[in-house]
Amino acid sequence: MPAHVAVISLASDFGCQVQITNLDDKLLAVLGQFELSYWQLASSGHLPDTYDVAVIEGAVTTPEHVELLKRVRATARTVILIGACAVTGGIPGLAADGFDERLGCVYGDDGTLLVCGRISPMPVDSVIDVDYRVPGCPIQPDELVAVLQRALMGLADRPQREPMCASCKVAENQCFYEHGVVCLGMITRSGCGAKCISLGRPCTGCRGVAADANLEYARQVLVERGLDPARLVTALQLYNSLQEAAR
Amino acid sequence: MSTLTVEHVARIEGHGTISVEVDNGAVGEIRMDIVEPTRFFESMVVGRRFDEAPLITSRICGICSPNHAVTSLKALEAAMGIEISERTRLLRTLLVHGSFLQNHATHLYVLAAPDYVGLPNFIPLAESHPEVVARALSIKKLGNDLTTAVGGRPVHPITAVVGGFTAEPSRADLEALAERLRSVAKDVAETVGLFSTFDVPKFDTAGEMLALKAEGEYAVYDGDVCALDAGWCRPVGEYLDFVSEHVVGHSNAKHSTIDGRTFMVGALARVNLNWDQLMPTARIVASKAGLRPISKNTFANNLCQAIELVDAAERCAMLCQRLLDETGSSKPVGYKIKAGAGTSATEAPRGTLYHTLAIDDDGFVTAGNVITPTAQNLANLEADMRAFAPTVVDLPEEQFVLRIEQLVRAYDPCLSCAVH
Ligand code: SF4
Ligand code: SF4
Repeated sequence: MPAHVAVISLASDFGCQVQITNLDDKLLAVLGQFELSYWQLASSGHLPDTYDVAVIEGAVTTPEHVELLKRVRATARTVILIGACAVTGGIPGLAADGFDERLGCVYGDDGTLLVCGRISPMPVDSVIDVDYRVPGCPIQPDELVAVLQRALMGLADRPQREPMCASCKVAENQCFYEHGVVCLGMITRSGCGAKCISLGRPCTGCRGVAADANLEYARQVLVERGLDPARLVTALQLYNSLQEAAR
Repeated sequence: MSTLTVEHVARIEGHGTISVEVDNGAVGEIRMDIVEPTRFFESMVVGRRFDEAPLITSRICGICSPNHAVTSLKALEAAMGIEISERTRLLRTLLVHGSFLQNHATHLYVLAAPDYVGLPNFIPLAESHPEVVARALSIKKLGNDLTTAVGGRPVHPITAVVGGFTAEPSRADLEALAERLRSVAKDVAETVGLFSTFDVPKFDTAGEMLALKAEGEYAVYDGDVCALDAGWCRPVGEYLDFVSEHVVGHSNAKHSTIDGRTFMVGALARVNLNWDQLMPTARIVASKAGLRPISKNTFANNLCQAIELVDAAERCAMLCQRLLDETGSSKPVGYKIKAGAGTSATEAPRGTLYHTLAIDDDGFVTAGNVITPTAQNLANLEADMRAFAPTVVDLPEEQFVLRIEQLVRAYDPCLSCAVH
């Protein structure tokens, strides 16, 4: 029997779901292995009472999200997070700092009129246990396919442990530090093929901090290059402000 | 009195709930509640380095991320008085038009079309109409490949930076793209054909229509803002004087009006205001499909998106050719970071998008303002629902609700972007 999949979104820009539709040629082949039970972006209908796999995009920003996640965890056998918002809190996490003042700042005094409740943004794993993580902003469709296959086969999640510099070296890029430019490749989880660096932009850490990252050494590299080591942290905040390493 | 509600309307981007009161065959209160959570983007850019602003604002919407990135870049350049090269302008225009291909194909085939063939989603379409799905995927893939070639990836461009591009598509990429763009002509024309066969209600919006207009081109990258009924054109920098935003209690997205009137932005508004600037083939295909300006039928917005696919394919082929023929550089121009405020607008697939960014002398953002197309459309969308619902209230309930949902999907609303 094919596994039933529900695609669920919290606070996000839907970019990772767009990346699912960007599987293009592979889309139908991949979806063919599953029974799509729910996907608000692409289909009518409501979240069913039973399904096997939950694919979750977005950060937690409302009390309803917390309730929903608890229900999802009680229902699904497997929970897969896709994208930086769900995995690390991502860009929405930037709002956590001084959260209470932001409503007035954006909506003025009328902000109190707004309907739904809101809580300071959090990554999904601060609410429920998760089984697999597909990081990135946005995710890479191929990585999602690989994780889905692992989930189908019952294999455990196997995140890349080594930081981006490894892939960057393989791509034969010149290091940004030679030009005094801060790059987060030293501490960022690899797996995107050093996409940004190869296209002339330093890594901004959208895939989160790698398990084997050596933050202390990274700070030292900045000092040696005459750069303020605090810039490592401020740069890291962009997608990882809720993670320990960026505090 | 009974209230019909459609919670979390499907096949739109974001979370919205429609509620319609019906009493003995008469329509009462109608609302579109935007329950999409606010992420407070305008406050998030504050305190971040200026070059992070386009990365942050492009996360407002993954579907039109190239538009947000480009609009923020233009606002920053306006703030610091930076002049970009012609080649950078061409590449950015290509990026924006590429996003039209990507977006319109997704919206039309994946989100809107199932309504008209009576299916819950587009997956069963693959069995019933394999050629239609193949066509949809090929147009969408071409759009993705185009934005990937120019921007570095299909969602959230990397290469576009303040002053220029950090990398460019190769000649071989541009040649291959131009070739594919020319050969997609048949598919995009057939898309117009397909959408012209769908049975859409006759319903004219009472709202004003706004779009950018520029001399000698189908304005997407810049231009003045023009109003169809009122007949005025005004510089983008004045948008806060004519677009007024206000908070409404049932929606996390603000509503917009101009001169007290609701208005519509997007493909229909653009086609109406820029008909003469459409590529000739697009005009011919549009006329054959029975669309001539001025059309005020809200449902025709989908047909206009299809017409823009024809225009974008041909225009992008032409832009690729120009990039091949003309030399010049898109390398970021040199600039000095200095304090200032800048405003800019582009046409996103769903309509005019405004960004304002202010930075201090050290290059940190001190203020941001964004008005997205859907935020502008929402008040008009609700006004349309109120006017349209009584004309279909006699239909069986399921049909009635479907018609209202179709009206909403005609707008191609993007609620996460509206809330931002
Ligand atoms: S710091 Fe950045 S540019 Fe340098 S090697 Fe690592 S990933 Fe590459
Ligand atoms: S290089 Fe860094 S910022 Fe770019 S996609 Fe990879 S992880 Fe994300």
